[in-house]
Amino acid sequence: MSALTYSTIRKTFGPTVALEGLNLSVQPGELISLLGPSGCGKTTALRVAAGFEKCDSGTVTVGERDITHLPAHKRNMGMVFQSYSLFPNLTVEGNVEYGLRTRGFDKAERHRRVGEMLELVQLTAMAKRYAHQMSGGQQQRVALARALAIQPEVLLLDEPLSALDAKVRTTLRDEIRRIQTELGITTLFVTHDQEEALGISDRIGVMSNGRLEQLGTPREVYRHPASAFVARFVGSMNELPASVVGNHAVRVGGMAVATSAASVYPDGHDIKLLVRPEDMRIVDAGSGLPGTIASCTFQGASTVLGVRIDALDVLASVHVAGVADLTPGERVEVGIDGTRAVCEPAA
Amino acid sequence: MTDAVISVEGRTDGAALSASLTTPSRPPRNWAWLGLLPFLAFLTLFLIIPAISVFQESLKSPDGSFGFDSMGQAFKGQNRDAFFFSIRFSAYAAAVGVVLGALLAYAAATAMRPRWLRNLVTSFSGVAANLGGIPLAFAFLALLGKQGVLTKIITAAGFDLYDHGFGFDTVPGLITVYSYFNIPLMLLITLPAIDGLKVSWREANANLGGTNWTYWRRVGLPVLAPSLLGGFLLLFANSFSAYATAAALTDSSRIVSLRLAFFLGGDVNAGEDAVGFSLASWMIIIMAIAMGLYWVLRKRAERWQES
Amino acid sequence: MSHMVNVPPIENVVPPKTGPSRTGRRFRIGPNLVLLFCFLFFLFPLLAMARFALQNVPVVLLGWSTLFDKWSFSGITKALGDEGFRDALTLSIKLAIGTVVLTLGLLLPTAIWVHLRVPRARAFIEFLTVLPYVIPAIALVAGIKVIQPHVRWFLNSDYSLIPFYVILALPFTYRSLDAGIRSLDLRTLVDASRSLGAGWGATLTRALVPNLRTAIISSAFLTTAVVLGEYTIANVLLRDTLPTFTQVFRASEPQGSFGLALLTLVATTALFALLSVLTRKRGGTIDTPVVAIAATATDAS
Repeated sequence: MSALTYSTIRKTFGPTVALEGLNLSVQPGELISLLGPSGCGKTTALRVAAGFEKCDSGTVTVGERDITHLPAHKRNMGMVFQSYSLFPNLTVEGNVEYGLRTRGFDKAERHRRVGEMLELVQLTAMAKRYAHQMSGGQQQRVALARALAIQPEVLLLDEPLSALDAKVRTTLRDEIRRIQTELGITTLFVTHDQEEALGISDRIGVMSNGRLEQLGTPREVYRHPASAFVARFVGSMNELPASVVGNHAVRVGGMAVATSAASVYPDGHDIKLLVRPEDMRIVDAGSGLPGTIASCTFQGASTVLGVRIDALDVLASVHVAGVADLTPGERVEVGIDGTRAVCEPAA
Repeated sequence: MTDAVISVEGRTDGAALSASLTTPSRPPRNWAWLGLLPFLAFLTLFLIIPAISVFQESLKSPDGSFGFDSMGQAFKGQNRDAFFFSIRFSAYAAAVGVVLGALLAYAAATAMRPRWLRNLVTSFSGVAANLGGIPLAFAFLALLGKQGVLTKIITAAGFDLYDHGFGFDTVPGLITVYSYFNIPLMLLITLPAIDGLKVSWREANANLGGTNWTYWRRVGLPVLAPSLLGGFLLLFANSFSAYATAAALTDSSRIVSLRLAFFLGGDVNAGEDAVGFSLASWMIIIMAIAMGLYWVLRKRAERWQES
Repeated sequence: MSHMVNVPPIENVVPPKTGPSRTGRRFRIGPNLVLLFCFLFFLFPLLAMARFALQNVPVVLLGWSTLFDKWSFSGITKALGDEGFRDALTLSIKLAIGTVVLTLGLLLPTAIWVHLRVPRARAFIEFLTVLPYVIPAIALVAGIKVIQPHVRWFLNSDYSLIPFYVILALPFTYRSLDAGIRSLDLRTLVDASRSLGAGWGATLTRALVPNLRTAIISSAFLTTAVVLGEYTIANVLLRDTLPTFTQVFRASEPQGSFGLALLTLVATTALFALLSVLTRKRGGTIDTPVVAIAATATDAS
């Protein structure tokens, strides 16, 4: 029994199709991130769950209940918005207990729960402050406390970290994950930042143009992208022109690379081979594609080399562990590990 | 002159450059304040001095010596009636303006077909809020005067307005006319406040289980309250101090600004001068209180709009 | 000028992102009804005035049956031809020009100076610019009458109205200029100009004024609207400006006076429409100075 299920959800705004045949099941206690660029439909999907958008067709269920036609204020979900969602005329306390008041809890009980929540987000000292007296990060923590105070069945987060400074983003991100696992609350997290998604999710749903391109664990999505879009969006990819050779290989710049991704394309077809930088290597002379080092950037744990490959006139990015004793201008040869490569039509 | 305008591309090293270009050293007393002298002098000469003169004259007793008698006199008898009447109709006019203006602002902010409708309403309000005095008075004379177009329509429908006590010197009459600029004014100052009501608040309210009514009661109206109250004060001040419109419509002696004008017109006994000026003084005091409160409320509203 | 109202500037005018932007476009009866009612309320007096002004029918007889009778501009043309009108209009125009010049000449340097050299004075100056509200026109003119005996030489001239008109217009002219300056990076412009060798005068005219065009034009238009409509001071000091003339004219030529009032209305509206157009150059959003101006009410009395 999944906690939150989207069944064939379709949503349009006039002529634009925001969601097309969305099917997604979130397991109880799981954190799923919806990841994608602006306009991919991730926020719409979230808002459909919250009840702020009515879908054209399809159903949304929580547990066993069909909530598709339930108005927003009757759904028992907690939501954290991107920014500025705290009620400015109420103190932190007033904000956090808001949902409790609408549900008719008495004063003592409200006070207890609010105290619990504030302690959870470590803002007990700020109980009497107002929104405009706090930083963005603190405001979002209060928003989280407010959403959780009502003990919702599902927690919805709409890019809660996007409006914050980079430093605050990472700390808050981890805190959200910590609280989520501690409470075991089913969570849907919308973001356009793949690092965020990779860092905190149990599973990631990569979306594009209203469709779910891939749903899988961070590892799966990264190492085995289901499509070129996913491959590009999560992490970075080299794009190398190639042509299909036989069943499970392609020819890149004259060199044969074994890859199962080519099997869908007919022999001789021109394609683009997408390879991760860490799947490219500097190899000994004679066994790879010749090229010239264009740049060499040491990053501490690894080095990123920019290599201009002669045969392809493409600047490839090659990740090498540790230090690489190479300088721009040097001649090297590049080998490609195609096991996790993705293919896409050349056009 | 079509000389090239100097536009700034890229920043110069501001600090060093400005240090070398502005006064070479920072003198202990900031002489820069002297640059404000022309403005301050002008203000003093043409605003402060007349204002002080008003107070000076009003603090004269009938025999010419210093005293608060006249100020007291200005609040007795007919003068008192005038003040109460004026405060009363100003308050009512302000109330009507606040309610209708706020509703109109809300309608303009949320009506469909957003862009051009809202801009139209705002632009028109800018014009209408400016109308006053002669043109406005004449327009209402034409509409609701004794021979007014609407008056006749209503009479034909069986209800004689003037028989029932309508008039431009009555509270309903003044409210009607003053609403013409009060409503647009309220709209203009409330619109930003309504824009400041963030979507996420409404949604958060719904998400936490609140209905529309809950939202307005616990978030919407409280947040708007300073703007609404401030608007009331502004409209009150506006209505209370209005002269020209009223002067063109009526010669009622119950409207303080008209009363003051009568005094200034010289149809007054000697020795009563001070009372006339006291009227002006009291007017200023009332305005100061209203505008002071308005200022405070506005600051409060701004703070919430920014958070 | 009695009820001159200034609405302290409305900054932060953001195109509305209020609720119904994405959650369905429903036609709601409530708001549209309010809009309709208000639209009618604002239209009818104007229509009535048009009838009085443009119909050559005795006012007493105006009614349904005479709705389409004898519409003509004769009443207006007659009024325009009146000598008294010519003089009054001329005076009003001269006063308007004088007020605009004095306002800009006094306020522009002051506003720039405040921003550049005495930023701490800003709050103080802002307070000062609100003072003309607290001292309504009728009270101001009372004060003028007090000092009149002492400065008869000055107040005898019609042009003595000009400084007082500057005061009346002060709240929003200063604000509009101030808003315009704040939208510039004043410090950098001045430094750049001076570093290129321009003196203060040249800096003012060639670097600053062109960039403040919007604010300056707005101020000028508003001031003009104020002056053309100012009644209170002119009336008490017994001057023949356009508004005072119109009022007096009513006694002798009722239809003509209504015509003049209608014209004044049209002219003022046109001024504002022009102003909106001129200042809305950038995209479809309303500029801050324009709203600050639109938001200020000048009592054309």
